Amino acid sequence: MESRILQLISALRASGVRVSLAESAEAFSAVDLMGIQDREHFRLSLRATLIKDVRDLPVFDKLFPLFFGTGQPPMMGGDLADDLTPEEAQMLADALRQMTENLRQRMERLMSGEQLSRSELEALARMVGLNQSDDLRHQNWMAQRMLRALAFPEVREALKELMEQLAQMGMSSERIQEIRERIQQNMQGLEQQINQFTGERIAENLSDKPPAEGVDGLMNRPFHALSDADKKVLQREVKRLAAALRTRIALRQKRAKSGQLDPKATIRANLKYHGVPMELRHRDRTRKPRIVVICDISTSMRFCSELMLSFLFALQGQVRKTHAFAFIDHLEFISDDFNGSNADEAIASVLLRMPSGHYNTDLGWSLNDFQNAFMDMLNGQTTLILVGDGRNNYNDPRLDIFSTMSRRAVRTIWLNPEPPYMWHGDSDMPKYAPLCTNVLKVSNLSELAAAVDELLSV
Amino acid sequence: MNNPFTSTESVKSALSGQKYIPSDELATIVYLAQQLGKPLLTEGPAGVGKTELAKAIAGATGRELIRLQCYEGLDESKALYEWEYSKQLLYTQLLRDKLNDTLGQAASLSEAADRLAREEDVFFSNRFLLQRPLLRAIQCDQPTVLLIEEIDRADAEFEAFLREVLSDFQVSIPELGTLAAKHKPFVVLTSNNTRELSEALKRRCLYLFIDYPTLEAELAVVRLKVPDLNPKLARQAVEFVQRLRTTEMRKSPSISETLDWANALVALNAKNIDKEILDETMSVLLKHEADLQKAKRQLMSPPPPSRPRPDDFGRFSGN
Repeated sequence: MESRILQLISALRASGVRVSLAESAEAFSAVDLMGIQDREHFRLSLRATLIKDVRDLPVFDKLFPLFFGTGQPPMMGGDLADDLTPEEAQMLADALRQMTENLRQRMERLMSGEQLSRSELEALARMVGLNQSDDLRHQNWMAQRMLRALAFPEVREALKELMEQLAQMGMSSERIQEIRERIQQNMQGLEQQINQFTGERIAENLSDKPPAEGVDGLMNRPFHALSDADKKVLQREVKRLAAALRTRIALRQKRAKSGQLDPKATIRANLKYHGVPMELRHRDRTRKPRIVVICDISTSMRFCSELMLSFLFALQGQVRKTHAFAFIDHLEFISDDFNGSNADEAIASVLLRMPSGHYNTDLGWSLNDFQNAFMDMLNGQTTLILVGDGRNNYNDPRLDIFSTMSRRAVRTIWLNPEPPYMWHGDSDMPKYAPLCTNVLKVSNLSELAAAVDELLSV
Repeated sequence: MNNPFTSTESVKSALSGQKYIPSDELATIVYLAQQLGKPLLTEGPAGVGKTELAKAIAGATGRELIRLQCYEGLDESKALYEWEYSKQLLYTQLLRDKLNDTLGQAASLSEAADRLAREEDVFFSNRFLLQRPLLRAIQCDQPTVLLIEEIDRADAEFEAFLREVLSDFQVSIPELGTLAAKHKPFVVLTSNNTRELSEALKRRCLYLFIDYPTLEAELAVVRLKVPDLNPKLARQAVEFVQRLRTTEMRKSPSISETLDWANALVALNAKNIDKEILDETMSVLLKHEADLQKAKRQLMSPPPPSRPRPDDFGRFSGN
């Protein structure tokens, strides 16, 4: 039992749930306390101790029955032969004789209502390569393959013929219906058994899987070399980093408060102590930046922009106001998409609206859009951030607008994944760079985190 | 102290005695939390009875309920303790004569300082300590139930500070030393999930997710709390609320709002839920103009074909 629980825990970990050592120890003491006689109590004691996030509940609900069974054995219809009259049995045997040898064996097997034995299951598993699979999304597919290996589709066809044969032989239609139902029930039972088995096996493989590559490696891997699976891990990591940054920035902003003494406020606060200055009041110097961020979300830059946006919106409390824009060939205002709490969904909806196609990335035109509608967003408190590689497909870079923008904004920061020695060809970076307060190279997550920190450190 | 929580069943019946209807799951986890002596972290949409749960536990165990409402900027002096400066000041003023007596006979300045130092404890004693909820829960002579509400609203720093209190049930006050809990309080934390709590805090708690109840469960709550509402009307009302929850709303109606509405129906002496009654009372249920409009539009359209009701546990797999 213990090893089974441990397997469940490592399968949870492999599915991306964070389970600490303390929590697994807690799970064992909870199980000790509640006992394992009552399945429901057992399930709840594990769930309350291991899962601490609503989003992880479905993962647990999926994995738990795979390790500890569904609670009931698959429903089998039972042996058909038990309730057939001798004449009927004779008729059935005659009808079966019309079939090929292979099909007949399978059909008889189904009528007997026996479950598959362990060794039969193992053999099937080897046949379809189940032992190499460690992804629960493959469960249905694997189960289908095993059923096909059992010739289920053919048997279904044959079942229809068999029923017709019996009808011709003069069996009453109710009896035929009963026999058909019985066989179908047995088929469903087997399907359930196989489904459960594949699930269990995949879950076991999952728990044997070595833990995914450490996050540290991912942090330093360039954006363009990341896969979709890595992306998920990184999104989590962004959240964690954002939380760390938030605390740090909040502390910094709090410290900034204790700058200059505020005599008026101090006198007022200490009136109750006879004017003895017990509590000192300081001028509030906190200045949360306003941010306007313009992101290139063409295919080459999408990843970087996406992570940058999730960062900014995770840091919302530390920033007075964020206005976000995205562009490929024209500019779109995307802040509204972030009104909900979930940044992942917001980004997905933005990307849905601006699908990547064979656009010509055109920053110049996008800047023109900005000038026409949003220029008043830039003022003495705004930090302007551009995320992009500055590759403009030889379109007009509109340096005139950009210089106006950077003059209006208090700071202009450009985050570019390319280092300066790659700024040639259609890159307009050499022209834009002198107009920026700062150009930071951001080609992986740790550089991005450093850049965001820098950004909010004023 | 008799403890009515000796098994899952007794938890269930004790909570039912407090007019709180617990699901099996809730009762099991509450029992576990009290047996393991762990804080219970409850999450779920607003108004599903997270606070009520703590009240019911307090009622069922006969313990005092101590409440701490979290908000942005909450700090130790508001949550734990504070020295009562003004009282200290007042005392020194009033005791001036006595102080003069004590210090007057001193031959030298250093002797006076020594004497004063000997009396120092008077001014830093429990007398001048203003106990805030956390300290009160720890110092109380009787075991208590400590309810920390909306922990997600507090700053991350406060959360970190809370961890020490929750894992060891002790606090250090520099002038007095470490104060350990006389009785471990039963701690219930609630969160509306507006921000991610830290892993470290979650690790120390048992986790309970309370979702909107099923039709039958909600009906039972309404029948219990608003017994005057006639059963047929109650069912209609709950069915209506459940239908509202399936539609996308800015704020779905919570159980407490269902109860308010039920009370409103009783007060208006409604015989049936018709358009007129709804027009008058819907604002009890929905608090956004956009939601109201949406619900009214939906009312005009026929009800959707009845869908199979998810079972007790199925409702968790859906979201």
